[in-house]
Amino acid sequence: MIVTRSWLNEFIDLSNVSNEKLYETFNSIGLEVDSIKQIEIPEKVVVGKILSCEKHPDADKLNVCQIDVGSGTRQIVCGAANVVDAEYVAVATIGAVLPGDFEIKHAKLRGVESEGMVCASSELGLPDTGKGIMILDESIGELEIGRELGSYKRVADTIIELELTANRGDCLSVYGVARDLSAALELDLKPFEYKQAEKMKLGIAREAEIHTEGEMDADLLYKLATLENIDNNFLLQLRLAMVAVEAEGKLAKILAYATHTTGVILRAYESSAFTNGDNKVVVRLRVKEKGLMEVQGNDNVVSVAGVYQSEDTLANDDTKKLLFEASYINPDTLVEAVAETSFKTDDLYYKTSRGSNPDLEFGLRFLAYLMDSYSDINCYEGALNVNVDRENEKVMVDSDEISSIIGMDVETAKIVTILKKLDFDINIVSDHVLSVTVPLFRHDIKHIQDVSEEIVRIIGINNIEAKPFVFAEKLRLNDTIDRYKAKKSFKNRAVGTGFYENVSYVFSERALLDKYGFSTLEEELELANPIAEELNTLRSTILVNLLIAAKRNVSYSRKSIPLFEIGAIFGTKREQSEVISFIFSGQIEGENVRNAGKPALIDFASFTQKVGAVVGAFELVPCTYDNGLIHPYQSANIIVGGKVCGFLSKLHPTVQEAFDLPDTFIAELDFDALLPKHINATPISKFQGVYKDLSVVIDKSMNYYEAAKVLHALDLPMLKDIYPVDIYEDEKLGDKKSLTIRFFIQSMEKTLEDSDIETVMSDIMTALQNECSAELR
Amino acid sequence: MKELEDKIVQADCLETLEKVRVELFGKKGVLAAQFAKMKDIPGPEKKAFAEGLNKNKAVLQAKFDAQHEELKAQEIEKILKSEAIDVSLYGTLAQKGALHPVMETMDKIIDYFVALNFAVESGPMVEDDFHNFEALNLPKYHPARDMQDTFYFKDGGLLRTHTSPVQVRTMLERKPPIRMIAPGTVFRRDYDITHTPMFHQVEGLVVDDKGKVSFANLKAILTDFLQYMFGDVEVRFRPSFFPFTEPSAEVDISCIFCEGEGCRICSHTGWLEVLGCGIVDPNVFKAVGYEEVSGYAFGLGVERFAMLMHKIPDLRSLFEGDIRLLEQFR
Repeated sequence: MIVTRSWLNEFIDLSNVSNEKLYETFNSIGLEVDSIKQIEIPEKVVVGKILSCEKHPDADKLNVCQIDVGSGTRQIVCGAANVVDAEYVAVATIGAVLPGDFEIKHAKLRGVESEGMVCASSELGLPDTGKGIMILDESIGELEIGRELGSYKRVADTIIELELTANRGDCLSVYGVARDLSAALELDLKPFEYKQAEKMKLGIAREAEIHTEGEMDADLLYKLATLENIDNNFLLQLRLAMVAVEAEGKLAKILAYATHTTGVILRAYESSAFTNGDNKVVVRLRVKEKGLMEVQGNDNVVSVAGVYQSEDTLANDDTKKLLFEASYINPDTLVEAVAETSFKTDDLYYKTSRGSNPDLEFGLRFLAYLMDSYSDINCYEGALNVNVDRENEKVMVDSDEISSIIGMDVETAKIVTILKKLDFDINIVSDHVLSVTVPLFRHDIKHIQDVSEEIVRIIGINNIEAKPFVFAEKLRLNDTIDRYKAKKSFKNRAVGTGFYENVSYVFSERALLDKYGFSTLEEELELANPIAEELNTLRSTILVNLLIAAKRNVSYSRKSIPLFEIGAIFGTKREQSEVISFIFSGQIEGENVRNAGKPALIDFASFTQKVGAVVGAFELVPCTYDNGLIHPYQSANIIVGGKVCGFLSKLHPTVQEAFDLPDTFIAELDFDALLPKHINATPISKFQGVYKDLSVVIDKSMNYYEAAKVLHALDLPMLKDIYPVDIYEDEKLGDKKSLTIRFFIQSMEKTLEDSDIETVMSDIMTALQNECSAELR
Repeated sequence: MKELEDKIVQADCLETLEKVRVELFGKKGVLAAQFAKMKDIPGPEKKAFAEGLNKNKAVLQAKFDAQHEELKAQEIEKILKSEAIDVSLYGTLAQKGALHPVMETMDKIIDYFVALNFAVESGPMVEDDFHNFEALNLPKYHPARDMQDTFYFKDGGLLRTHTSPVQVRTMLERKPPIRMIAPGTVFRRDYDITHTPMFHQVEGLVVDDKGKVSFANLKAILTDFLQYMFGDVEVRFRPSFFPFTEPSAEVDISCIFCEGEGCRICSHTGWLEVLGCGIVDPNVFKAVGYEEVSGYAFGLGVERFAMLMHKIPDLRSLFEGDIRLLEQFR
């Protein structure tokens, strides 16, 4: 919503209110100021009167004007076509400096002396009022030849753009904004008084009638008029330009101006759209579904109240007989109905949907005042109208309750003063209880807290003293907090291991997930209105996002890219879970003197070590996950606490190529599986233990974990630890390989004797021979 | 004697000194030989001879010890010297990643409220109309829904547009009093320089008996919170409108870039908008079946906080995993 200072001034006297005060007040009452712009008209731009205007002898498009600028008559060459219609104009005299550092000097145009310039609005830093020069008239104030244009307050105005919240439809008019200001500034509103002289004694009833069908939920008011010679004054054009309201044609401009001023929805129809065979104007109002109301003329729908008007019924500047309409429809009804019927809507819908001014009388009266001043209009006496008996909302307001909501004592009298200024009706029930009648234009106010908001904003929140809330102590640590702490500790470990935390959209591209064999949402559960193709579904893995991030980093010449992310993923039924994902791409470490500037690329062992440093101890077994990112021969299931909770893999070479990456490893683990668990300590032996190595020859295809499984199954009490330390293959071994396993043997009860160790080792060897077809090397 | 002393002093390394030690103090050494002479010395002179011998031995021993210590020190110094390196070459070896500034900011916010004994609550990202809108006094077609472009699913589900549904869920599950924050990921269908389709919010809710929680309380905690986050800033409350609170306010801090003078970042107003808040609307309590209660609520965008606190110029860069940005937070 844009207003101007001088426009507001028509309803509220702002002469003692500075722009700073206005800015501060608007912000403090909840009408946030987006911008405030004081128009500065350059000095030496004055009102001039054109005495004569003749064609330039050598140029068709130029005119040579003799203009009285107060201090004398100047000859000025002007290129604007509309100068011939002008009497009073804005003249930049010699020495004036126009925006863009453009100084007016003596000039010769095609051989003719020119001492100044006749100005268009945009040349003076004013909004564009249309083609050609500005033609001034008394609408800006009394025209005095030679007077500085900048001294006209209505021209050198202040343009204030307000950002209105969705509930404040009542402030979508200059009048509404002035009303809010009047409460905040404690200034009275100037009454708008205009009594139209009824020039025509003919009553409207003779010419027109109105019929209704169904239960009305909208107010409509009609006036019939005949019209000759319509015109717009300068101020109207200038102000519409200032508030960025566009309207084609003079009549449309007047309607737009009246609506912007009063907030009442105003339309004008060609009366012929309603004229029947008997030459009578017949308006039929028919209630449609959901409380919408159709306006019909000659069995055609000419408009839907609050929604649109069909273009062929719009009255224009040439219309001789027209029907004016003011309308109001409850925005709650309207918005729902429009959403469900998907009617097309026109420019006025924004106002009607937020709640236009229900004071139709005021709107039409203001329109009539404008029409009367700038056109030859004859109105038929009286009006046709339909009024819904609307019940104003009534709220019982206890000033003690208001005080407790705000947390500060507010006197009843103060509440009364504020609400009255805002057009609420007050009935005092007792010394602290009020019965408050809410004006129709405040359809957003329904209960006491809404009323307390009015009080808060007019008092000013900054005038409320802050008070700490006193509460009863209670333990509020819960699972969510524990989870946050665990997450934080994983993050810190990841950072300590050299990974950077990534945050990416929970979205992904369905085609990409499909391509790499990740699950996607069931079709009927899919996003209905994605914002972009590459974000058209919920992700079922973070890895694709990490690949994209890695690729981006490669393009920024990063050689070592360690990223991790903890975040949500979604199953086919849109079930949400959390995973921790890693990617490591390129060099294993930075280039430095130790690696002579040539660090190795990340490899399976190093990546595993890094992931382990973050998530803690795990086992690896051959991978059973199936997706397109996995390298079939360098991938593993990650087992934590005996359960598979994710995988770790070299990136498949084709994907590596597709993303332009160097050697890359990835891992993704179910975060819940990693959450810290309760641990009980096991007793520690006091006796010395021994390490023993065993090298066995087994099938090449056999994995270490199969051998380990056999040995664990033995459940030997003295066998405390088993781990592989070497693997060896050569031609002589053929399809066999040599595996060296190290054992740690220790007793809880005694110092080991050789025989104890031998027993353990022989049990091990027997098991390996029997179950793994192993031979001693 | 002098000759022996010189031998010790002239030893220039531990090996030579060891040889001297054997020569002097060894079983077949000079001193042993002298002591052996004792038995040939007649009784009365024996004592004086022995004393002289012991004295000489003590002097030699002292010389030897001093020399040994000296040589040992030289030896160690030599080893140390041989191990000298240019330490400045290795400063770049340390490898550390970095936490994401948005997550760090979120943690800092959580820390504040946990220290004030707020519970932390969470909820699902995929929500329904009731929890995300209806229960928050945002009926269908309410114009305020325009403020929140929503991602919908084909079955009518939606991605939560704020973390407020967590408040609704918590209130439906639990009786008052409530003191909670809900940090989380939220979604709006908006994508330009200042909007991303996903971002993070922290919302807070306090509910207690009717008449207990007031707007003045909200002012107290938010002023303190913003000064904890941004340091010594001025805090300004402006009336505003949110469907779920009434009265509502937007909260500004004095611009931390120009200290209120007016700059590009604060659009020359001297103020930065950082928070929305208000007294919980009775319709919200009605929707969750609470009676005779009062409460306040607030909500903030974590990205905005992170960007202001760390002077990060580009919102979208926060979601690109760009290590050039992240490594600045090591």
